[in-house]
Amino acid sequence: MLPESVHYINKDSELSSVLMKYPVSVLFIEHFGIHLPLSTKTIKEICEEYKINPELFLTLLYIYIDDSRSSIPVLGTSDVPQIIFYLKNCHNYYLQEIYPEILDLIKTIHSNKNTPEISLIKKFFEDYFNEVKEHLDYENDVVFPYMTLLYDCILKNKKCNPASGFSVTEYKTHHDDIEEKITDLLNLLIKYLPADADQKARRKLFSSLTNLDHDLKIHTKIENLVLIPMVEEMEKQLG
Amino acid sequence: MNKLPTIIIIESSRVVFEGLNQIILNSGIKCQIRQVVSISEAQSLLVSRSSFVVIINPSFIQNNIKEFTSIKNNWENVRWIAFIYMYLDKQILELFNGIINITDNPSSISYTIKNAISSENPANASVSENILSDREVDVLRLIAEGLSNKEIACKLNISINTVITHRKNISQKTGIKSASGLTIYAVLNKYISLDSSN
Repeated sequence: MLPESVHYINKDSELSSVLMKYPVSVLFIEHFGIHLPLSTKTIKEICEEYKINPELFLTLLYIYIDDSRSSIPVLGTSDVPQIIFYLKNCHNYYLQEIYPEILDLIKTIHSNKNTPEISLIKKFFEDYFNEVKEHLDYENDVVFPYMTLLYDCILKNKKCNPASGFSVTEYKTHHDDIEEKITDLLNLLIKYLPADADQKARRKLFSSLTNLDHDLKIHTKIENLVLIPMVEEMEKQLG
Repeated sequence: MNKLPTIIIIESSRVVFEGLNQIILNSGIKCQIRQVVSISEAQSLLVSRSSFVVIINPSFIQNNIKEFTSIKNNWENVRWIAFIYMYLDKQILELFNGIINITDNPSSISYTIKNAISSENPANASVSENILSDREVDVLRLIAEGLSNKEIACKLNISINTVITHRKNISQKTGIKSASGLTIYAVLNKYISLDSSN
């Protein structure tokens, strides 16, 4: 990755060329509901077509391409629905695609070589997957509806009673746990798991885990640095 | 090591300083904050063995990159954050451990500062090897048995803070943070047998 060229991406850049240069962003645009092919359309044109705020799109694209970046400007609360849409799409990708894929790979390794160590890894991941499911369900069922409610109240300029027992602080710490265990798993896989495990499945597992790790990192950053400040802002507005 | 980190803001504008100061205070970062108006004034505040974050507008160093690099090398315990108002050359930005844009929202500003504070001190990192000490192995075994920090402290007759420090070092050396991850690590490295992990 060459973060320096991130600055040269702007509204008039062709989205397809961004994808060619940063293949990782193919997942990013999918989270925004954008589908291939992109033709030769610019970011501005694509954003118009999909009704996305191009400022928001670019801000998130920069962090997606360069995950060491944490520079996020103040964005208006009018972007809340789009961010929730993005995050929900991430959830679908996690629950329906990448986590099951990882679990299958671990099961493959396990069935080829049934050692106690691999059983432990399998159990570690299964427990972790359940934790993740619980957390994502909580977000889908409690957090996002709460935020949507706040947004609607502000939009329609009406009073609302957002007492939901939802705590921003608690919400933030939960995230770190989810990321932490993926990093743990990567470390176990790369540094410590004995060599007799199926190398091919192991390589695929490594690549799926790094993809997930990257996407989760950005997901957390978006929630903590973009969405939560907006929620706090909305709570303030509503008194 | 438990001393509060100091954040030095090199900034001549009172308006900008007060803004940053307020954002840092509201973020809950535990630190002392100082405003100075020049690099030399900042240097007089730096002492080794404490951790510092210096937030500086790169225009202060634009014509003195050599001097800045030598100051940087002298003070390994300092993390440097660029506070930028406008587009700057990548070469200059690469000299910094973090970047804050003037348009950044408060959450991302405090995130950048927290990251700088917790980022590993290269001076410390070179001292420790990646092999666990005997005491760390003791702690690791008890983590794998499912004991809490408090229980580990009781059992080994040490303070909770010491347990936390051991845990931090174990995680830094192994790359593994969660208790369940560490348990697997302990099994893979034969610190515990499988029977005792259940």
